[in-house]
Amino acid sequence: MSDPMQAEQAHHGLQAQSDWGWLKDWRASAWSQFAATPWPTRKTEAWKYTPLKSMLGTEWSLSEQPGSATGTVFADWDRTVITLVDGKVTDHGALPEGVSVQLLSKATAEQRARFEQRLAKTLAGDQLFTTFNQALLAEAVWIEVAPETVLEKPLHINQVLSPNANGRAVPVRVMLDLGSRSQMTLVETFASESDGPVFINPVTEIDVGDSAKLTHYHLLLETGDVRHLGSLQAVLRAHSQMNSFHMALGGVLKRKDIVVRHCGSGAHLQLNGVYLPKGKEHVDYHTTLEHEVPHGTSNEVFRGIIGDDAKAVFNGRIHIHKDAQKTLAELSNKNLLTSHRAEINTKPELEIYADDVKCAHGATVAQLDKGSLFYFLSRGISRQEAEVMMSFGFINELLEALDDDPVKRLLRPLLASLFAKEDDLAGHLL
Amino acid sequence: MLNINDLHARVEDTAILHGLNLEVKPGEVHAIMGPNGAGKSTLGNVLSGRPGYEVTGGTVTYKGQNLLELEAEERARAGIFLAFQYPVEIPGVSNMEFLKASVDAIRSARGEEAMSSMDFIKLAREKCKAVDLPADFLKRGVNEGFSGGEKKRNELLQMMLLEPSLCILDETDSGLDIDALQVVARGVNELRSPDRGIIVVTHYQRLLDYIVPDYVHVLAKGRIVKSGGRELALELEKHGYSWIDEEVA
Amino acid sequence: MSENIDQYLKSEYSAGWITDIESLTIPPGLNEDVIRLISAKKQEPEWMLEWRLKAYRAWLDMKEPEWAHVVYPKPDFQALSYYSSPKSMEDGPQSLDEVDPELLRTYEKLGIPVHEQEVLAGVAVDMVFDSVSVGTTFRQKLKDAGVIFCPISEAVHEYPELVQKYLGSVVPQKDNFYAALNSAVFSDGSFVYIPKGVRCPMELSTYFRINEAKTGQFERTLIIADERSQVSYLEGCTAPMRDENQLHAAVVELVALDDADIKYSTVQNWYPGDAQGKGGIYNFVTKRGIAHTRAKISWTQVETGSAVTWKYPSCILKGDDSIGEFYSVALTSNYQQADTGTKMIHLGKNTRSTIIAKGISAKHSSNSYRGLVKMNPGAEGARNYTQCDSLLIGDQCGAHTFPYIESKNPTAVVEHEATTSKVSDDQMFLCQQRGIDAEKAVSMIVNGFCKDVFRELPMEFAVEAGKLLEVSLEGAVG
Repeated sequence: MSDPMQAEQAHHGLQAQSDWGWLKDWRASAWSQFAATPWPTRKTEAWKYTPLKSMLGTEWSLSEQPGSATGTVFADWDRTVITLVDGKVTDHGALPEGVSVQLLSKATAEQRARFEQRLAKTLAGDQLFTTFNQALLAEAVWIEVAPETVLEKPLHINQVLSPNANGRAVPVRVMLDLGSRSQMTLVETFASESDGPVFINPVTEIDVGDSAKLTHYHLLLETGDVRHLGSLQAVLRAHSQMNSFHMALGGVLKRKDIVVRHCGSGAHLQLNGVYLPKGKEHVDYHTTLEHEVPHGTSNEVFRGIIGDDAKAVFNGRIHIHKDAQKTLAELSNKNLLTSHRAEINTKPELEIYADDVKCAHGATVAQLDKGSLFYFLSRGISRQEAEVMMSFGFINELLEALDDDPVKRLLRPLLASLFAKEDDLAGHLL
Repeated sequence: MLNINDLHARVEDTAILHGLNLEVKPGEVHAIMGPNGAGKSTLGNVLSGRPGYEVTGGTVTYKGQNLLELEAEERARAGIFLAFQYPVEIPGVSNMEFLKASVDAIRSARGEEAMSSMDFIKLAREKCKAVDLPADFLKRGVNEGFSGGEKKRNELLQMMLLEPSLCILDETDSGLDIDALQVVARGVNELRSPDRGIIVVTHYQRLLDYIVPDYVHVLAKGRIVKSGGRELALELEKHGYSWIDEEVA
Repeated sequence: MSENIDQYLKSEYSAGWITDIESLTIPPGLNEDVIRLISAKKQEPEWMLEWRLKAYRAWLDMKEPEWAHVVYPKPDFQALSYYSSPKSMEDGPQSLDEVDPELLRTYEKLGIPVHEQEVLAGVAVDMVFDSVSVGTTFRQKLKDAGVIFCPISEAVHEYPELVQKYLGSVVPQKDNFYAALNSAVFSDGSFVYIPKGVRCPMELSTYFRINEAKTGQFERTLIIADERSQVSYLEGCTAPMRDENQLHAAVVELVALDDADIKYSTVQNWYPGDAQGKGGIYNFVTKRGIAHTRAKISWTQVETGSAVTWKYPSCILKGDDSIGEFYSVALTSNYQQADTGTKMIHLGKNTRSTIIAKGISAKHSSNSYRGLVKMNPGAEGARNYTQCDSLLIGDQCGAHTFPYIESKNPTAVVEHEATTSKVSDDQMFLCQQRGIDAEKAVSMIVNGFCKDVFRELPMEFAVEAGKLLEVSLEGAVG
């Protein structure tokens, strides 16, 4: 790949730092892969609708010192929090029993060996920005939860970009290993206080142990000139459950590659998401469900409202491997376009190699239902108000399905303000 | 006609029938009652040869031949009819097409000539009337979008068309209102004849008010634990199944 | 039950014999001289040769598409012969009576009505044998109605203004690799013109037969339905059983002018290869129609043949209120691979499209639906409904769905649904409990699964399609 990001320079800079000597080979292999990959074009299937080269821009350097950020978005609720500013851990609350956290940057000699093993477990090979993350990684937060631990409070990974991050690329990784039969809620939020441009490149790796249960939120709340290119990769062990909720608001460019692998049989995945680009924003979700073993179930629901000049891309792939008999997998993607300049490109995909399975997907692109709209009008509600309420309702169905009350309480006002630019319209939504 | 001797059967890894004995002679109506999970539906499925039901012991003789050796369709052609508790939908295949294929197969097994399409349509319409289904049901997909009651009446319609020797009704009364129940009972009673055996599997005695059985058997824990006449059913209604459990224990 | 299913999938290909006839086949290889030779054999005007050469030069710079979900050894384009004609056709027989009876017997044996007095008298047939059309029935009757139905090679001479205006207007020469190849070397195919306001008095059909070894067939079909006219056209195809893979790269262009209605049906039964996946036709076809104001184009296809199929009959819905339809059954067995679907490009206001695709995969085959529904900014109030269902028979096959949806108009509505399942044990048991054997049961269930598509075929072909499905499924059951 040619190098519009000065990434090569940054890579060599990292390789030269003596602290990182132990990661040299791991990093170098990723670098050679990244450098050998041609820049995606319209003909590259995974980037068909996201013109990466023009959208990512040029001239990024790696951030060094974290700036200061207030981190007020999504604050003020009862949780255990780890805050990262510009990709560096700045705040690390007291950890509950059964939870340990290690930082790549502070790994001791014996921790390094374990880190190396864990990092080698990188889950999928050919995602461009997972490779990029590996080549340039300067910090990783590794959370381990002991077996049979039930965490009362959610664990919140709060990632904030400060004004100092302008012009920087921020590769950062979060890894969670949830022990067997454990239960917890992980909330990942991404916010920005930078005027931009800034390029964040986060990778989250999750391993849900046998019969464990994870509730997970991955919320991309950055606005303004942020380019967010990252991935989530999860492995589900036998009889585990993962309920993962995604949201993308605003930002110049957001691209998230989500891969969930059923590696142990009898696991269940619920994967939900909403994307709400407006202005000239661009959101791109690529999801892949890998059913590698029998008796797995998956249900995926993504919804989007695309307004103004915004553009959204959704690609939802379900891949049933040869041995994955008795799999049940469903995917639904619904979209509303609210402007003549907005655009949606969606492609639900089924790739099936086992016969005794039930799989289905559906995708729709539509406007607000005219019949329902009329119902509102006939009850004296203004068109504008009705549209706000219906749009909110379209997304709210997914919100209502969330188990976690505090998160729901925080998300609702955020969404309400987004839908209803005027306060009096938001009144009905809260 | 049917002789079941010490029948053991299981589904996957669960043993369900543990030494069941039953004899049905032509012209008789047997009611099999019992609590949920006793193995009532298993009996019907084993007799009709449903895949997944494994016979682990005992014998079943039907009209002098070893029934267990026959494939499902061979049993059907030999005159065994199972009215399903939950009839499955077959989208796109019309009822008429399905019935004709079935009647053709069974008639040919009996050495009878195939019916002409015209005669068949006439007959099918007639039988529709008998079970209170509008004739346009024949054009719809097999059980596709039918209500519970319609599915059961459709089973009865098939039974009347195929004229089997041994009818097994698997909880045909479940989910039926009183009117539908009477329609079904009327149909079954019409089929009673000196050369036909009928096994009625049911949880409630209600159906037996309309189809009066010659014998009533109580099935519990995979065996017939009590047999008697019509009065046994009434007793079950009064006292429930718990006293049987106590007796068996 | 899948073992049961497998026993029944042992199909015999019934059209696999060879007609023993003397042919003139040009030596293998492709270069400008070969194109000049083909053009000379057809005594084409200069403009036609130039058109071919332009396509050929573009083709040289193009690459074979690789995005489809199929794997096959790439054809060696220099090892193929691009023109083969029965020797008797060189003399240019003037009417059907003069055609070599052995050739006509080929079609009779395939059940094609070659004599006008025969029962399927409502159908006019053009018979294409390797690279040439051997005869067309009912020409006079059609001519009386103003309808032109003739080999395209003849249309180049007789109706040059129509050919020049419309050839390549829907599928340009450089559209894709195989369309460019076809444009360079196309030999024969059918030409249809229905004048304004005329409802074609009979079904038109073309029957394609590949007979000669080591040749490819590159037919080109062009159908123009002028304003307010209506036509229903059907094509069928078969080939002998051979161990080698033969290439069939066709282009079909449909032009439906204002208020016209074209219904195009295909029953594709090219030789699929044997049970080990040896031999069979590579079927790489570009089919596309353009619908003007209030016009309607309807594609119906039943695809049971070919070793590899790559085919996306499409509609460009250019005019306001135009309608596009695609009804497809694709059945793959043994080692067949199919990547087929459609594109519906909505340009005009209130355009409507419907896609119903049924895929059935058995044995080791791979069956993919690939489709595009595109709502352009001008497609105010446009609608699409898509339903794709896949049925798997056995655990060695694959069934895939790749629908692309692109929308740039907020008033357009797109609905896509897809399901994948197998023939259920419960359905099989219900049939068997009613005395129906497993093979018949599967064939009934599969036919039921395809009913929405068969309904769209002309009556006599619907029956044929059902039988074809049954034959192709033989040995696949449970």
